[in-house]
Order: sequence, then structure tokens, then C-alpha cells
Amino acid sequence: MMEPAEADGKIKRLTGEEIVSLFRERLGDGVVDTRVDVYTNGVRKKPFESVWIRVKRENFRDAVKLLAEVHSPLHISVASGSDIGDEIELIYHFQVYWGMGGGQISVSIGSRCPKSDPRFPSVSDLVPGAIITEREKQEFLGVVMEGIPDGRQLFLSESLPPDVHPWRKDEEELKKLEKYIRNVHDEGV
Amino acid sequence: MMDINDLYVRMLLGVLAMLAAVVVGLAYKGIDRKIAAHMQSRIGPPLRQPFRDISKLMQKETITPDGAVDWIFHGMPVIGLVAALLLVLYIPWGPLSPPLKAHGDLILVLYLLIIPSLAMALGGFSSGSPVAAIGAQREMVMMMSYEFPLAIVILSLAWFYTRVLPGSAPFAFTTMEAAPIWGLVGPIGFIGAVLLLLSLVVVTPSELSKIPFDAPEAETELGGGLMAEYSGRDLAMFYIADAVKGLVMAAIIVGLFFPHPLSPIVEKYYALPLIMDQPVVAWIIDGLFFLFKVFLVLFATVTTVRVAFPRLKIDKISYIYLVPVSLMALAGTLLLYLDTLGGV
Amino acid sequence: MSKCSYTLPIGPVHPALKEPTMFKFVMDGEIVKEVDVQPGVNHRGIEFIGMRRNPLQVLHLAERICGICSIVHQYAFTMASEKAAGINDIPERAQYIRTIMAELERIHSHVLWAGVAAHELGFDTLLHWTWKLREDVQDVLEYISGNRVNYAMYYQGGVRRDISPEKIPRIKEMISAYRREFQKLADAFLEDPLFKHRTVNVGVLTKKDALETSAVGPTTRGSGVPKDVRVDQPYGGYADLDLKPCLPEQMGYPNTGDTYAKTVVRILEVGQSLDIIEFCLDNMPPGPIRWEMNVNKVLMHMKKAGGEAIGMTEAPRGEMIHYVRLDPGDENVSAWKVRASTYNNIIAWQKMLVGAQIADVAIVAASIDPCIGCMDRVTVVDGETGKEGVMTKEDFYRLSVRKTRRLRRMKGKPSGGGW
Repeated sequence: MMEPAEADGKIKRLTGEEIVSLFRERLGDGVVDTRVDVYTNGVRKKPFESVWIRVKRENFRDAVKLLAEVHSPLHISVASGSDIGDEIELIYHFQVYWGMGGGQISVSIGSRCPKSDPRFPSVSDLVPGAIITEREKQEFLGVVMEGIPDGRQLFLSESLPPDVHPWRKDEEELKKLEKYIRNVHDEGV
Repeated sequence: MMDINDLYVRMLLGVLAMLAAVVVGLAYKGIDRKIAAHMQSRIGPPLRQPFRDISKLMQKETITPDGAVDWIFHGMPVIGLVAALLLVLYIPWGPLSPPLKAHGDLILVLYLLIIPSLAMALGGFSSGSPVAAIGAQREMVMMMSYEFPLAIVILSLAWFYTRVLPGSAPFAFTTMEAAPIWGLVGPIGFIGAVLLLLSLVVVTPSELSKIPFDAPEAETELGGGLMAEYSGRDLAMFYIADAVKGLVMAAIIVGLFFPHPLSPIVEKYYALPLIMDQPVVAWIIDGLFFLFKVFLVLFATVTTVRVAFPRLKIDKISYIYLVPVSLMALAGTLLLYLDTLGGV
Repeated sequence: MSKCSYTLPIGPVHPALKEPTMFKFVMDGEIVKEVDVQPGVNHRGIEFIGMRRNPLQVLHLAERICGICSIVHQYAFTMASEKAAGINDIPERAQYIRTIMAELERIHSHVLWAGVAAHELGFDTLLHWTWKLREDVQDVLEYISGNRVNYAMYYQGGVRRDISPEKIPRIKEMISAYRREFQKLADAFLEDPLFKHRTVNVGVLTKKDALETSAVGPTTRGSGVPKDVRVDQPYGGYADLDLKPCLPEQMGYPNTGDTYAKTVVRILEVGQSLDIIEFCLDNMPPGPIRWEMNVNKVLMHMKKAGGEAIGMTEAPRGEMIHYVRLDPGDENVSAWKVRASTYNNIIAWQKMLVGAQIADVAIVAASIDPCIGCMDRVTVVDGETGKEGVMTKEDFYRLSVRKTRRLRRMKGKPSGGGW
């Protein structure tokens, strides 16, 4: 594992656009969509970048491996997930160039899987810090993380049926969930 | 043979002494809590809080946890309390000599002191809770550690008395009362006696399971440890036993090292004829003085110590008693021995 | 696993844990062999609720995720929703006020932690002393925002309340009082031989583990990993400050990653926060405090806007990230993910606890400054039969009615009876 101080000397720091073009070059058609957001802050208008890369599911692990080449060890912030109609989207938020006194770039790598086939490749072997968030995604969104070292339930109670996934938004799921929800304002409590 | 009337008087005295010990012990607990609170810039509970706690606990349900050995679990609080109350009968209470002084001495006191701790440990083991079992293990380890210096202190004192006052009963409090140790020693012996006193002072907070030696109960680690499963009456009994034991420990220190009465001094300097004529007044003065001495001992060994220190780990506690404190006690013994050589 | 090992549960409610969570330890005597953290007992489904509310409503929800680090949640959510809605020109004055509030909160959180750490060690005197000192910063927070907790200061496009020039002397007075008093407190912790004995080489997180587990905040900085969002990706007023991450070595203590090192980091950070607040007060730019004064306009803007963004802040416990997606035409927040600092530190926790003594569990668990309310966010309660069960709407209603009846019966009688 590379130490951050060494990484600072060795690594050529890429800009957000350069990271995007590296992904396009190495993954080719695997990259679906990219975006670089720049935000400025303070009186000095100091900028920082946020890179968004969406890849195909089968290219997801390669994308994470590629990002680890940019800066290692990778820092994972979290994986967010949402139900978008027929598909479930997972976005892994990574940070690169941390600990260098500034210029950290947030790289969010997203990918989708259809609800009919909710399998998703786990990256816990590449980034050990991802295990908690992957376990959470499994129970809340009903995706199956393939290759997860520890797939037990985490936050939800054991007594909640395993087929109830609170973050799914389709009618079927909501019906299953309904009896566990209490609408306080409807009851006028 | 004991006169039958004398027996009745003694029984009555004994019962009164036990009741008084419970009340005074709880009152000291209240004072201790109040003073500690002020030291920590808090207001603290009212002085009668320990009495309220007892009355509340008595009303509460006494729960038996699943998997507990019923008779041991409920029997141990009784044994602990009885042992603590029996101690009261063998300790001098200022002007009052021990109600059962003819039937037991310091050796018996040493044994009786072990019983409440042992009862708590057995109660903890029998409760079937892993937390209480850890607490009980720690209590056993701690006992094995502090009993050693405690025994050294008591035995050294007794040995010293046989040496200096041949023919006296070395294990009786009356001997110490008649001739306090400070008047019998030379300069070297004085240092020796101070070391023995210090050793006893260090043993006191762990005998009472108070911070920094409260590893068996350790609220933030074990959530009450060996007391974790106790509730209601059982807990109240341990609570009272603890209060009485605190009082007894302080009374032992006072009895061994500071048995001095106040009334002769008052008589000498103020020459109050009233005291000469009325022994009751002397009794009251000495009684109050004794209570004050006990308060000072508790204040120095329990209140200030528990305010000033964090909790120690069990391995450290064991080390402290087995090495530095034991060495200190042994050094005290050695100095007393040297003193007797010079004196003879 | 040796023959004599046994399982020791700590939690869900335990005096060592200030909030409910569950640990299962496989023990060998006094030594921890294996650890399993089972969170979720405090999960309130806040993200689920948030995904059925509009961004302005979620603002208040976000603040109530945690009672200690409430402002950083609001900060991260405001940033994420602003970016998602394309509100990028936040007035500079508002950015400075946001920074001041976040730093005041950091001081109160770190001082609170110091008190808890002392309590875990059984050192209650230090706990009371520390918390007395904490009142000072709490008073200032109340002075500025009107609240001691949940300050309700942030708002998409700016802040709700200004720090007017006449308020500044009171804040500066607090800063100088802290500079005077805090050193004494720091000494009481760092110089105390027993505190050292209980924390040095206890709960060590090696640098390798800190990097692998993506630990955040003082937990990782104690191991010498210089991760700090305020430095790495400066947001708000931090962009004008040239900050350096606080590492234990700055105080001459090696970056060992033990509990003592984490204490050093937090103590350094309190000093750093005081400097930041002072800088912001001295250099506060003039101008408006909001991007748009009319709340309805802000709401309409957010309703029409579409986009996704992340908001990252450095909470007192470390990096905090909110992901927000807004869909045009949909009034509600379409996707919301909250990731508090403790969430990333769970795995680090497991590594730190293995090999510890039971006596150290409390302080090691506390050393990451866990915030379970932040981490857990379905209503599951133990049923009356004593078995675990999910309580439905009807059950709640039934219980509620029963309690009302009971209260009615109690009426006129003295209170204090248990129910």
C-alpha cells in the first residue's frame, strides 16, 4: 500500500477533465455519461472539483480499479443508492488527492442495474471500507452485492421481513411497507 | 460463666449498636455524596438521599434473572449484610467498648471483613450474567491482592504490642486504646507506624470498592458489574452492608491508630468540673469526637480519593497492592522491629 | 477460539454507550478476541422520511439527525441541495457565518467528548469540570442563534440570522476565556499520569488500518493520516484560510493512533477552531446574508431545478457527506443519502477493539466519538410479550390510547408512580 507522502511525490496530479478523459480512454464504451462540476468558495473564490462518471454494470469493478491507479489507497465516502423507475442506481462516492493540503477531487462512480436482475458487483475486496455501506444498500434497496465478504443485515431489525426494502419506490414495495409506517400528521397526534 | 442478665444487656446493646451503625453508615454516605458533589462543582443530592434510596429499593420488585442459582443469588445479600452487622459487635465505638469484646478480636474482624466481599462475588457468579461474572472475578482478584497488605498491617501491630507490652492481649482493641501506638514508639518506629497507617489507608477504598478501586462494579465498563443483576430488597441489603462496612473500616483505622479520647484534654485545659462529676458528659464528648474522627478518616480515604482519581484497571490494582503497598507495609514492620531493638 | 471464551454483549443500552447500539464481544478472560457491531437500534428512517418531503422541510429534518453535530448535517444538506439546484452564488458573508457556527459547534462537541472520555475512565470530577467550561460556548451559540441545540441557522442560499457587529465582542470574550482556561483543562488530561496510563497504547488504530478502512476525522488523524475536508476540499469560509490538518506530532506526540493521540488531536483542534472563528470575525465581508430573501421563491426554484450533488463537511467526528438528487417538477427530494462520520469509523472500531481489555472497551469505543444517532437513521420496538416484534400503526394507537386512559386515572393523584 502506498503511503500518502510518497504518493505526493510520485503521482502526477490530474485535473477533473483529465480523470474523465482517462476513464473514456481506458474503458471506452463502458463509460455512459460524465460530468465535471466546479464550485468556488470564500472571498478568494477558491475552486474545487466534483467528477461524476457513470459506467455500465459490467465495467464497474474496472472503473474502481482504474481510480485506484489515480490515487491509492482509495478513500470511499459512501455509496448512495436510489430507485429510478425500472432500475436501481448506485453511486459510489470516492475521494482522490486527499491529505495533500488541498485540491481533493470527489469522484462519484455510478452504475445501474435493472430491478428484474438486481445484482451488483461488490468492491469490498478492493476498498475494505466499503463493506458497511454495501451491507446497507443490500437491505434498503434489495440489491444483491456479488462477492460481499459479510452480507448480514445491518441496520434493519431481524423481525422486519427480508423482502421489505424501504428505499424502493414502486407500488408493490410500498404496499408491503405500508403497515410498518405511521403517518403521524394524518392521525392528528 | 456469663450472667444471664449480662447476656440480655449485651444482646440489647448489640442490637442497638447494629441499628445505630446502619443509620450512621447511611448518614456518612449522604455526607460523602454531598461533599464529593461540591468538590466536582455540583449541588449534589440532599443528605437524606441514601435513606430515600433504601426506602425506594425496599418497595421495588426483587427480580431473579433467568439462569441464576436462586438460593445463592438471594442468600448472598443476607449473608453480606449479616457479616457487616456482626462486625459492628467487635469494634470499639469511641467511649463504648465492643459489645462482644470478650468473644472475638482482630483476627475475627479480619475474617468477617472478607465475608461481605465474598458474598458479593458469589452473588455475582450465581446471577448467570457474564457482566456480573466478570465483576465477580475482578472482586476475587482484588480481594486476594489487598488482603495481603491488610494482614501485614494487623499482624505487625499485634507483634509490636507483644514485644513492647508483654502480657497484653495483642489482638484486642482495648490494648491499643489503653496505650496508643504513638506513645510507644521512638522516631524510627514512628515512621514505621506511619507507613502501616498509610498502607491501611490505601486498602480502605478497595475494601469498599470505591474509585479508583471500583473495577468490580465499574459503571461505564460493566454497568454495575457484580451488582448488575441485583434489584429491590437484595440490592438494598448490599447497599446497607456497604454503608456499614464503610463505617467499620473507618472505625478500625480509628481504633488501631487514633483511639485517643477527647474528654481528658477538655478536662485538663478547661477544667470543667461538670465532666469530673458526670461521666455522661464525657461519654457524649468522646462519642462526638469519635464520630468526627471517623468522618475525617472517611473523608481522607474515600471522598477525596474518589474525586481525585480515575478508575484503575484490575491488573494495575493487583500490582499496586501486591508490590508497592505490600512493600510499604513490610518496610513499616521492619522499622517497628528496629525501633524495638533500640528500645530494648 | 479457546475453550474458555465466552460472549459478552454490551448494549443496546449500557452506561458506557451514550446512545443505543449493540456490541457482541467474544472474550477470553478480560481480553477481547472478536467484535461484532450490530447497529440499527436507533434507526429512525430519516432518509425514508426525507425522500417524501421538499428540500426546505428536509433542512429541519437534517438538523435533527443528531443533537451534538446538528449543524454539520444541515451544512452538508444545504450545500448538496444548493449545488443540485444550481444555486452557486452564496453571499460571502453567509459563508463566513456558516463557518463560525460550524466551528463553535466543533468546540462544544470536542469539549463534550473530553468530558465523556473522563467519565468512561471513571474520572467524574474532570467530567463536571469540562462540562462547566462547555457552558461558555453553549451560551454563545444561544446568543447567536437563540438555541442551545438545533440552531436553525442555515438555509438554502444563505443563513437565517446575521452576526451583527454588536454581537462580536461577546464572542471574542468567549474566545479569550477559552484561551485562558482551556490550556489548564488540556493539562489536566494530557499531563495526568493516570489518564496516560489508561490511554497510551490503548485502542491503537494503525496507519495501515486507518487507510484501508477509510476512517475519518480525529480517529484517522490520530494515526497520522492527514485527512480533513476543511483542508482537502475547503468549502465556505474555509477556502480563505490556509489550514493544516491537526496531527498529534504537532504537540510532540508520535502519530501512534492510540486514544491518547486522538485526545491530542481534539485538543489541538479546539485551539484551531478558536483561531478560525477569530479570523472570520475579523475579516467578515459585508453584504447580504441570503441569496434570495423570499422563501417561496427559493422553494419554487428548487421545485423547478433538477440535478444531483454531494455536500461534504468536516464534522467534529470527521468527514460527513450528503448526496441529494432533485428531479425537475418533483417537489420532493428524489434521493437523499446521509453518511455521518461514525458510519465510516465502524470498521476501524472493530480493529481497535480486538485485543483490548474490557476495562478499555468503554474508552476505546468512545475514542472515535461515536454518534449513533447520526449513523442509524423503522420503528421496531420490543413487543409486550418480550419478544422482538414490529409495531404497527394500530399498536401505537392502542398504546397511545391506553396511556391517555392511564393518565386520566392518575389525574389528581400525586405523580411519581411508575408506568
